Amino acid sequence: MLEKILTDKFREILKLVFADISNQQDRRDEEEFSKDEARIKEKLLDTVEPYPADSMLDEDFLVAAVDGSGTDGLMMLDDIRVHLLSTATVVLDTNSRAENLFSPIPRDALEARLGTQPHLDVHWHSGVRNDAQKKMSETLENIYPLKDIVDLILPFFRDFSRNQMTSISDFTDTEYEKYLPELREMESLISRAQILTNTVVHEELRKVSEYAALRNVLTSDLNPRYLLLDGGLSVFMHFIRKYPSMPSGFMLRELCSLARKEGVVICGVSKNHTIPFAHRIAKIAQDVFGDDAKWFCLLPSKEYPGGGLHITEDRTYIPPVLAVPYLFSFSRDNRPSRIDFDRIWWLENVFVPRDPVATRENEKALFRDLEFMSRDARWYGYPVPLAMAHEACKLSFEDLRLAREICRDVRIEMGMERRKTDPPRADYNL
Amino acid sequence: MMLDKDKLGELYGKVGVGNQTMLGIMGNNRDVSVGEIFMIYSQRDGHERVFFFRVLGLENYLRQVDDISRVAGTLMVEGDSYLSGIERNMLLSVDGRMLGYAEEKRGDWKFMSPRRLPDHLADVYRPIPGTSDIPVREMLGSQTDGEVYVGDLQVGEATLDVPVMIPSKFLPMHVGIFGSTGAGKSNLMMVLIKSIIDSNLDVLHGKRSEQPISAFCIDPHDEFAKGVDKYGIQSIIEAMDQKTRTDVVGDFYYLTTHKKATPREVKRYAKEIRVRWDEIRPRDIYSIFEFTPQMASFIDAQFNIHRENWIAEILALSEDPDGTPKGTLHAVQRRLRFLERSPIFVDSGSSILGDIFTAMETGRILVVNTSLMRDTEQFLLTTVVTRTLSDLRRALKSSGNLADFEGQGQMRLPAPFFKSIKPKAKAFYSKGGTDDNASVRDPRNLPVILVTVEEAPSILNPELMRGRSVFKDISRQGRKFNMGLLVVSQQVSVLDNVILSQMNTEVNLRLGNEREIRACIENASVNISGFENEFRVMSRGEALLTASYREMPLPVRIPLFDTVFEQDKGRYKGKESKKSEKHVL
Repeated sequence: MLEKILTDKFREILKLVFADISNQQDRRDEEEFSKDEARIKEKLLDTVEPYPADSMLDEDFLVAAVDGSGTDGLMMLDDIRVHLLSTATVVLDTNSRAENLFSPIPRDALEARLGTQPHLDVHWHSGVRNDAQKKMSETLENIYPLKDIVDLILPFFRDFSRNQMTSISDFTDTEYEKYLPELREMESLISRAQILTNTVVHEELRKVSEYAALRNVLTSDLNPRYLLLDGGLSVFMHFIRKYPSMPSGFMLRELCSLARKEGVVICGVSKNHTIPFAHRIAKIAQDVFGDDAKWFCLLPSKEYPGGGLHITEDRTYIPPVLAVPYLFSFSRDNRPSRIDFDRIWWLENVFVPRDPVATRENEKALFRDLEFMSRDARWYGYPVPLAMAHEACKLSFEDLRLAREICRDVRIEMGMERRKTDPPRADYNL
Repeated sequence: MMLDKDKLGELYGKVGVGNQTMLGIMGNNRDVSVGEIFMIYSQRDGHERVFFFRVLGLENYLRQVDDISRVAGTLMVEGDSYLSGIERNMLLSVDGRMLGYAEEKRGDWKFMSPRRLPDHLADVYRPIPGTSDIPVREMLGSQTDGEVYVGDLQVGEATLDVPVMIPSKFLPMHVGIFGSTGAGKSNLMMVLIKSIIDSNLDVLHGKRSEQPISAFCIDPHDEFAKGVDKYGIQSIIEAMDQKTRTDVVGDFYYLTTHKKATPREVKRYAKEIRVRWDEIRPRDIYSIFEFTPQMASFIDAQFNIHRENWIAEILALSEDPDGTPKGTLHAVQRRLRFLERSPIFVDSGSSILGDIFTAMETGRILVVNTSLMRDTEQFLLTTVVTRTLSDLRRALKSSGNLADFEGQGQMRLPAPFFKSIKPKAKAFYSKGGTDDNASVRDPRNLPVILVTVEEAPSILNPELMRGRSVFKDISRQGRKFNMGLLVVSQQVSVLDNVILSQMNTEVNLRLGNEREIRACIENASVNISGFENEFRVMSRGEALLTASYREMPLPVRIPLFDTVFEQDKGRYKGKESKKSEKHVL
C-alpha cells in the first residue's frame, strides 16, 4: 500500500478532491459566510473573562459528566452480535476554597448513589431477524430508568409545541393525533426501523446508556450545577411525523425537562462540531481578541433576533432541534469545539428578550464557569469532568481482548459449545 | 503458617511487570530512594513466600497521562491550569532487582536465590523501622548471621535493626574492603576490630563455641587506637577491667615504629616494631618488588650459601660474583638498600615477630601503626608476618606430632626465629603434652588469623602475583591454615585475578569512578549486575556486602565507631558488671 500512497498519482487524486471541495462547497460557503462575517464579529462573538487562577468562588459547586464507550462486536454468534457498553459518570467539586480545584468526590460516595463506576452492560442483538425492532425496544426499556412511555414522550411534545401539548389529551386535533397509537410503546417509537444496521443499533444502545447514567445523576441527591455529556444535544426527527425517529430523542428531551426541574444545566460538548467555517470564526476571534483570547460564538437559530446565519441555512441539523449551539475555544492550541444547551433552559436563563446586553452578561457568566472547568493541564481547553469520564469509560484493545477471553471461559463454564471469540478476520491472520 | 503481613511494613504497591530477575512495581507516590528494599508477599500454589526486591530505578508515573512532558509544559505555559484529582493518579514506577525469597519450612525460614516469581499483582510492602525488624531478621537469618558485625541492614536511607555479620568460618576465605577515599574504610576497620574483640569476649564468656579471631590490622594513618573523633580501640581497652583486658588483649595491642612518640595512655599497650634481617626470606622480597630472573637467581644462590645472613652478605658485596651477569648485584642492592636505612628492619637485636606470632595464636588484635613507615617497609612487614604465620600453620598442617612439626618448622622457617618461638609454638599446637609424640591440633581448631593488606594494589597486583609472591599461596590455601587476608583497596580493577577469584566476602563501599564500579560488579561473589546506579549514589558508610556463601547482596549501613562503642561500652567491664545497651538505631 505504501508504494501507492507515496506516488505522485495519489497526490494528483488528492489535488482533484480538494480542488473540487474548494470549487463547489467553499466558494458557496465563502459567499454565505461573507454575509455573516460582520454580524459574527460584532454581535455573536465575545471573549470569556476567566476567573483568576487563585480565585475562590462565592459558592463552590459540583459538576458531573457522563461518557460512554462500547463495541457491537464483543462476540459474534453467527447473526447475533453481543454488545458491550461501558458508561462512566464523574462528579467533581470546584473546591476552590480548599484550593484543590475540581477534586473528584470520593468513589465510595459516588458508587453508593450511582452504582459501580464505570458501569458495564452487555446486550445482544440480531440485525437481520424480523424481531430486531422488538428486541431493540426491549433492550432500551431495560436500560432507561423511566419506564412510563407517556412520561417519556410528553417532554418532547411539550417543549416542541411551546407548552401547547402538556398531556395526551392535547394531541387531539393536532397533526400528531394519528400517531398516538404508535407513541404508546417503545417498539413503535422506533419509527425508522428500516435503518437498524448494527452500527445504528449500537449507537442507540450506547446513547441510551449514557442518558440512563445522566438520569441517575439527576434523580440522585448529588445536585450538580452542570451536567455534561459528550456529543451534541441533537434530536434526529422523522421527516414526515415531525417527532424523534428514535426513542433516544424522546429520552434526551425528558432529561432536559428533568434537569430544568432540578436546576441542573445540561451541556452537550462536541469536539467534532460540524459547524461550517468554524476555522474562519476562530480566525476572526484571533484577529479581534488576540492569540491568547478565550472566546465563544453563538450560532443563532431563525427565531433569534436577526435570524439564523446564512452559512447554516441549508444545514438543517444546525442548530439542533430544541438546542442552542455555541462555538468556543479556551485554548489557542486547540481547534474550536461546540457546546449545546437545552433551548428551553436557555430561553429561561440566558436569553433576555430585547436586552442583548443582559443576554451577553448571562452568556459570559456561563462560559466563565465552563472555562474554569477546562483548565486541567492534561486536557487544557476541554472540560475536565468530560475528559475524566472519557478516561474512565474507554475500552482499550487489551480490555476488549480480555473481555472476549472471559466470554469464552464463561461459555465453557456454562457447558456451552466452544466458540472462537476473536473477530473472524483473526482466523485468517487478517 | 500465615504470615502477619502488617509486620512486613507499609503496603506500598503492586507487582506489575517483570521476571525472576528484574521487576517493575507500581507504587504510591512516596519518598522512595534507590537502594530501598521492599518485600513482596506472594502465595502461589499454596506456597507462602516473601520476595526481597531492591530498588534500582524510579520514575514518576501519572496514571491516564501518556505524555507527562506535555502536561508539565502546559502547567508551565498556562499559568491558570491545574491537575484535577491528580493525587490518586500520581504513582511511582519502581524498577529493581529480585534479591531472592524467603520461605518457611518446618518452622525455619530458608532464603533462596531468585528462581521464582511473585504471584500476579502481588502486594509490595515497604519495611518500617521498628515494625519490620523482627520478621526481616528472621527471614534473612541465613543471610545476615555470623560472628563479626559489619553494620545494619539498610533499606534505602533508613536502616532496620537487622545486624549484618560475617561468619568467622568464612574469614579464611578472604575479605575485600573496597572504597574510595572518604568512603568510610577506616571507620569500617575500627568497627570490625571492635566486632572481633566482642566476638572474642563471647568466646571467653562461653557464649560462642567457635574459635577466637586474631587480626593483624595495618593502620596507615594511626587512627584506630585513638579514633577519628571521640573514641578509638584504646577506649575499648580502657573500658575493660583488668582481667578482661589480660584475657582479650594481653599486654599489648599497639605496634609502632617509634614508641616514644606514642600518646601516654596508648604507650602502656604499645611495642616497637622490630624485625631482624635474618627473619626475612627471599620470597618476602619477591612479594613486594619485581625482580628479573637473573636477580632472583642471584638472591636464591646467596640465600643457599648464607641462609639467614643472605641480606647482610649481599649488602656487603662490592662486585658481582663470578657467573652473575654484570649489574645484577647493584640492582639487587638498590632494592635491599632501604633495609639499611629502616628503623624497623634491623640486622641484629630483638624482634617483635615472636610476639606477633603469640598474639595471633591466642586470638588477639594487633593495631599496627604504619603511618611513619615508608610504603616498602609496610609492605615487607605485612609480607614477613603473613609468610611467617602461614609457614608455621603450614608446618603444623604437614605434621602428625610435635616431632614432625619441629622438623617442618626448621625446614620452612628461619632458624633463629623458629628456635625462639618453638616452645610456645609447641604449646599452642599440641593437643596435650609436650613430648615429641604428642599429637598436634588441626589448624581449623586454632584461632582464625586475619591479616590486613593495606594499599593492596601495591603488592597484590598481577605483576607481583605472577612471581613467587607469598600472597599467591595464602590466597589459594589460606582456608586450609585458617588464615585469611583482609584486602583493603581503593581500586578493584588493578588487583590480581587470583586474589579476586579467591575472595569470598566483599564489603563494597562507595567507589571512585565508573571503571572501579564495573570491576567491583564483575568481581562480586554474587551477581550484582544492575547495581551501577546504587554505587553512584552511595554515601559515606554505606556498603554492599556480597559473599559467595550467601544468595543475597546485602546493603549495609556501617555505624560510626563512636556510636557502637557508646552502645556497648558497658559490656567490657567483665561478667558481673556487663551492661549492654539495647541495639538502638
